[in-house]
Amino acid sequence: MTADAIIETRAVSKRFGGFKALTDVSVKIRPGVLTSIIGPNGAGKSTYFNLLSGSFAPSAGQIFFMGRDITGLRPHEFAHTGIAKSFQITNLFPNFTAIENVRIALQAHVSRYGLWRRRSALAGLSEQAVALLETVGLAQRATHLVRELAHGQQRALEIAVALAAKPRLLLMDEPTAGMSPEETKVMMGLIRRLVEERTVVLVEHKMKMVMDISERLVVLHHGELIAEGTPDDIRANDLVKRVYLGQGRH
Amino acid sequence: MELTFDLVALQLFTGLALGAIYVLLAVGLSLIFGMLTVVNFAHGAFFMVGAYVGLFAAEKTGSFWLALVIAPMVVAAFGMACERWLIRPLYGRGIDYPLLLTFGLSYMLVEGVRIVWGKSGLPFDTPELLQGATNLGFADFPTYRLFVIAVVAVLLFVLWLLIERTSFGLIVRAGARDPVIVRVLGVDVSRVWLLVFGVGTGIAALAGVLSAPLQGVSPEMGTSVLTVAFVVTVVGGMGSLMGAVVAGLLVGVVESMAVLIFPEAAKVSMFVIMAAVLLIRPQGLFGRAGLMA
Amino acid sequence: MSAINPTLAAAPPRSLPANAFAAIAKHRVLATVLFFAIFPWLMPYQSLAINILIYGLFAVGFNLLFGYTGLLSFGHAAFLGVGAYTAGILIAQYQMPWWAAVPAAIVAGCVVALVMGLLAIRTRGIYFAMVTLALSQCVYFLIYQLPASGGENGLRGVNVAEVSLFGLKLNLLDPLQKYYFVFAFVALALWLLSRILASPFGGAIEAVRENEARARACGFDIERTKLLAFVLSAAFCALAGALNAIHLSSVPIETLHYATSGMVVMLCLLGGMGTYFGPFVGAALFLLIQDLASGWTEHWQLLVGAVFVFVVLFFPNGVWGTLLQKVSHDR
Repeated sequence: MTADAIIETRAVSKRFGGFKALTDVSVKIRPGVLTSIIGPNGAGKSTYFNLLSGSFAPSAGQIFFMGRDITGLRPHEFAHTGIAKSFQITNLFPNFTAIENVRIALQAHVSRYGLWRRRSALAGLSEQAVALLETVGLAQRATHLVRELAHGQQRALEIAVALAAKPRLLLMDEPTAGMSPEETKVMMGLIRRLVEERTVVLVEHKMKMVMDISERLVVLHHGELIAEGTPDDIRANDLVKRVYLGQGRH
Repeated sequence: MELTFDLVALQLFTGLALGAIYVLLAVGLSLIFGMLTVVNFAHGAFFMVGAYVGLFAAEKTGSFWLALVIAPMVVAAFGMACERWLIRPLYGRGIDYPLLLTFGLSYMLVEGVRIVWGKSGLPFDTPELLQGATNLGFADFPTYRLFVIAVVAVLLFVLWLLIERTSFGLIVRAGARDPVIVRVLGVDVSRVWLLVFGVGTGIAALAGVLSAPLQGVSPEMGTSVLTVAFVVTVVGGMGSLMGAVVAGLLVGVVESMAVLIFPEAAKVSMFVIMAAVLLIRPQGLFGRAGLMA
Repeated sequence: MSAINPTLAAAPPRSLPANAFAAIAKHRVLATVLFFAIFPWLMPYQSLAINILIYGLFAVGFNLLFGYTGLLSFGHAAFLGVGAYTAGILIAQYQMPWWAAVPAAIVAGCVVALVMGLLAIRTRGIYFAMVTLALSQCVYFLIYQLPASGGENGLRGVNVAEVSLFGLKLNLLDPLQKYYFVFAFVALALWLLSRILASPFGGAIEAVRENEARARACGFDIERTKLLAFVLSAAFCALAGALNAIHLSSVPIETLHYATSGMVVMLCLLGGMGTYFGPFVGAALFLLIQDLASGWTEHWQLLVGAVFVFVVLFFPNGVWGTLLQKVSHDR
């Protein structure tokens, strides 16, 4: 069970009141394989992503991470299992600087309740934070407040904060949302580097980017899994083509 | 104390009348929160001001009935002015700021009433028509309390119609779900905020006038009632009208019955209910899990 | 509200006041303690100085929860009151020495906070203000009915005339010596506060304030963090209550009123939330306004309410907070 799937959902469903957002979705995501979750608007991608990151629990079904049943774990416990998510809408600590954002995320894994020692003295956190900022290309802006960063830089910081959890699985919710073509290229380069050391799962709308970068695709529609496979498989899939027809091209 | 059927029935009835007033308060609070995301800490003060304006109107016009109509309207107008000039500038600044402002406002309202009407409480006579008792077939009940229950029931029905059956109500419901969408659809949300705040405070004022014959009026009457309004809202679930009704009546009845059985605990009984709800179902009896943080 | 982060030295400030402020911020405990050491001579009378210290401490406790953690409680009168009544009853009716009664008061405050917190923190944020208000009203009713509390008349006879510790004697009937007695506790409390704020926990509570959802996603146990902040906050407030009981030799029932909870909110906002020194500035301002205004009119509360509304609308960072911002922008 451990080798073939880093994270697996078995027949998960999610209801919100009377509305069924997801029905019976069973997916195995393989380690080291860059997987993207796609589907038209309202397909349930965000909901599925929230299940993977533990923001809420499924109404039915189970989630396994590296062979361990993590269904129903509380949200903050997910971060300690090795799963991290970068948010679709930039979700940072607004009045902190870039490096403070990363430091506090790192701190969550080191010492949560220490009341006595100085957090400035916590071994190595500042160095690790700088290293993470370097990974996403923000080392020069370390002491800038979040609001002083450009949109693309804030998205990069998002990722640095997510990486602070040293995740085996990184979930990225529309990482290029609102980015210019240049910024998107930079982000794609970053994602390719990130895949080298961990599994990355994306939700994205930009079809060209998704087809370019993904090794595997998972297609959702109306909360159900309708197709799964390589980009070529999906391109050739009639059902997917019908579902996307009339959705407009991106 | 011997618990006769008559006594129990009477207390139960008193509890319903008390609960009816609580329901009105909680409904107003819930409306304001649901639409404006403002926890109105001045809600008790508007209740109190309503009672005083009602007293003033009743004395000037000689008619309780006129007072019952005038007071809510005057207070609603004042409430709308407060929303427009004091609260609206704070939207977008974080949910605590409007709350803090209404708290400061309540301070000013209480002191303002003290300046105009003095520090000690004033009596409010039950209108002649509603004095005495009415026989409902199986027992005699105080007429005025019957009246209160009837008025509240009618008002709730009207509110229900307004919210469920009119386009205004549709906007209120939609706004409560997703204020952004409502704005995007081109509805003038600020007009709706104004009206909802007016309706909410107007209802609070009406509750004040209704309660005046029961307990008189005093500048402090708003503070104690604010606590009850909050407890009822937490028990019922914020944003739920049904929750406000059920919780309000529950709190009123339990408080009245506790007076019979265990008088020392009567005042604390509502907190016990609240604690129980918080432990078992933190979103409130009718609240939706995951509602607004 | 910008977090004054002791770990990161930003680009060195260029103007003199900014430099001075930065230096003071680094040694905030020392600066504050020194200031309060000479404070009695800055005030027209010592009783005012003592009140500013005590109310300031009350506001400091509240500020830990509101300014630093971002949780607005309208029930903090409960902790002030529990601290005051616990110390008061133990001293007046059980003849307990002050050095046992004061810690007992703090413990009592923490226990009440634990119970209140367990109930209040389960709810969504918007309920928090309402639930804390309701629970503190409950505490008020419960203590009011306790025979030992004296009910409406409050508790009398909390007489501590003389304190001695390790050979040092202070005569509490002399206002100046009483000031330094209170000052010793406040200095200790401020030092502890500084340690807490500079600790990993201090970082965690600010993360909760800045973005609770993100902090949760990072792996912080938000409920536990909030609960601990709530209890620590109550500890400071209970200490303030105990000191107040000794200072007044009594505990008025108003200590537990909703108005007291509201007052501490005002103190904090007036001074500046999330700043180290702001609560004392707020306390001083409030007490001064109260002193002056009640000389003119018995309706001074109207003025206080108006000032508060004004501050909420136009100076949400408070007096000290706005000052700090202006100085740090002069770079």
